[in-house]
Amino acid sequence: MRVGIPRALLYYQYYPMWRTFFEGLGAEVFVSSPTTKLMLASGCSRLIAETCLPVKVFCGHVLSLANGCDCVFIPSIHSVEQKVYSCPKFIGLPDMMRATVPECPPILDPDVDVNTGKRDFYQAIYKLGRPFTRSPLKVRKAAETAWQVHQTFQRRMLSGLTPPEAIEGMFPQSVEEPEGNGSHPIFTIGLIGHPYLLYDEYVSHRLVPQLREMGVKVLSPEMVERARLRASICELVERPYWACEDEVIGAGAYYLGRGEVDGVVSVVAFGCGPDSLMIEVLQRYAKRLGKPFMQLTLDEHTAETGLMTRLEAFLDMVRRGKRPQGISPPASWSQRGGSKRGSASWVYLA
Amino acid sequence: MVTEGREQERISVLGIPSLGDRFAVFETMVKEHNISLVTPPVTKHTLSLGARYSPEFACLPFKGILGTFIECLEQGADTLFMVTSFNACRMGYYAKVQEQILRDLGYRFKFLRFHSSEKGLIGVLRAIKRFSNNASWPTVVSLFRLAVAKLRALDELEREVQKIRPVELEKGTADRLYREAIGAIDRATSFASLRQAMRGYFERLEQIPKDAEYAPLKVGIVGELYVVMEPFFNMNLEIELGKMGVEARRTRSTFFSEYTKWGTFLNALNDEKKELQKFAHPYLKRDVGGHGLESVGEKVRRAGDYDGIIHLAPFTCMPEVIAQNIMPFTKEGIPVLTIACDEQLGRAGMLTRVEAFVDLLERRRIGNILR
Repeated sequence: MRVGIPRALLYYQYYPMWRTFFEGLGAEVFVSSPTTKLMLASGCSRLIAETCLPVKVFCGHVLSLANGCDCVFIPSIHSVEQKVYSCPKFIGLPDMMRATVPECPPILDPDVDVNTGKRDFYQAIYKLGRPFTRSPLKVRKAAETAWQVHQTFQRRMLSGLTPPEAIEGMFPQSVEEPEGNGSHPIFTIGLIGHPYLLYDEYVSHRLVPQLREMGVKVLSPEMVERARLRASICELVERPYWACEDEVIGAGAYYLGRGEVDGVVSVVAFGCGPDSLMIEVLQRYAKRLGKPFMQLTLDEHTAETGLMTRLEAFLDMVRRGKRPQGISPPASWSQRGGSKRGSASWVYLA
Repeated sequence: MVTEGREQERISVLGIPSLGDRFAVFETMVKEHNISLVTPPVTKHTLSLGARYSPEFACLPFKGILGTFIECLEQGADTLFMVTSFNACRMGYYAKVQEQILRDLGYRFKFLRFHSSEKGLIGVLRAIKRFSNNASWPTVVSLFRLAVAKLRALDELEREVQKIRPVELEKGTADRLYREAIGAIDRATSFASLRQAMRGYFERLEQIPKDAEYAPLKVGIVGELYVVMEPFFNMNLEIELGKMGVEARRTRSTFFSEYTKWGTFLNALNDEKKELQKFAHPYLKRDVGGHGLESVGEKVRRAGDYDGIIHLAPFTCMPEVIAQNIMPFTKEGIPVLTIACDEQLGRAGMLTRVEAFVDLLERRRIGNILR
């Protein structure tokens, strides 16, 4: 049986786990190819215009899987920890895809909700394995291996790899060009945002490689331990509300509060509900600290040139902020907000 | 027994977001406990204030409520009230961000959050105790009972007005009476006076000259609670539909007295929700927060019953986007007009669309009769 996994949304967080699980059950896993213009266009044609970009991309991937798979795996993730819920779009994803992509092969849509108790969670896993094997033991074994692989995956990312790099290292058959990490980086930038935006090379216009080519050391949310992210969230907003907050507000607060990064760039999708409020909190925090912070909004019309111009301008400003103290910026700059970090404080882009 | 700390936390002017006129009925009641209530109606000014200080992509309710809060504070409110919840939708996060924005603007106030996990009778009574500056428990209970009676009176009246609007001969009579009645409900201080006032208004509503022959089209209004309830955001949709001779119906979950019925107390209308879940199940299996599930369920449930559905959704509302994506694909066919509400929505544009929609429904009905 061929199981299709769309290379979008939670793929970047859970793919090794999913793949190990299905392969452990004897299924063949088929991942859609990286996003193309055509995929995005076909996704856009099926959904209403207001839908956020990542879901449109996802829909394009599901469409590309419609032929050649026996079933498509689209889990409905309600929550991955107590009382912290996912964005509604993750919850309604299988239903939305079933309605808008009628030609799609059967959808495997387990409900992942830890709030309803362990029993339900385990049952969801067994139910998911049911079409592949009748033996619960086999499902259990596959799930356990999958969990171990997930841990390895997370450890690999902590060591400084981006999710696609980590995936590549774990499943080496999909060989792509190894990314040279620049000569020696001049800046360190904290790049925050959802993995499905940052690492989808079509959507983000190869943001990570481009930054590295510019001589920037990129620190991404996956390179921080969960516990630390969580602590940063608690510092800023008492307790997390959405499951996807770790990589945005957690990482943002963590990097802003630390001297090792020269600035923080956040990438959000147009129409992203959770981000619309979370970024606001983060921006205010950055303003209080006087740290350079920029928000890049991506949608299906974003042009690469515009994105690069903004990035270059941002890096220029960070560079000026890092200049030796002897050369002071023009008086008009320092008037716009004094802070300990010298001229960096006026760098505040929204 | 009031400790000093609590003394400091006394509420004198309480600001709450308005939802139509729903909270105006409590003004007199709280005044007896030395609290004045500010619920400024949403106007263009409110929205422009809200939009100026809100994040760009925040949804319309966020902006509306933030604007209302700013107006409340300008009118002297020292305490603000907001509901938070653990729900997948943005609504539960409002309070945190709004508080930060208001504090950054330099306002000083107390922020009361009512968390939905405090639901149930005890939680509500505790909240009332808080709002009445720590009144004694017997007073709290009687306040609660009166508040529930007022909500029920208001909703009964509104349901009646909904039925009269399309058939009344002189348009606007029922709404004039409704407006008067809100004042009367507010002034009532006991069950007896409330009952008496209500009886009077129901009689007067009865006497409004109506067109008995006319069978109005029925249109269900579904969507996100705040835009469905706040007449400023939906351009007085229900009244405008009434003028066109169309009867507007809403789901039970938009009538607040339904939440206070014994047994289902603040339990998000369990039975109603379960029923809608049943109807929505073939298309949307999961509760996606907000009113997404209700919108899909209501469309399926009312397909044979209503003539059309008007779906109101704030721009980029997450649950309603899901509902909007799914609704066209249900087997049960009924015309749906989706209107995305944001600060750019214009009255003329919206009414033109609604009129065109009503024309379509009329033709569809004639076609069905001929067939």
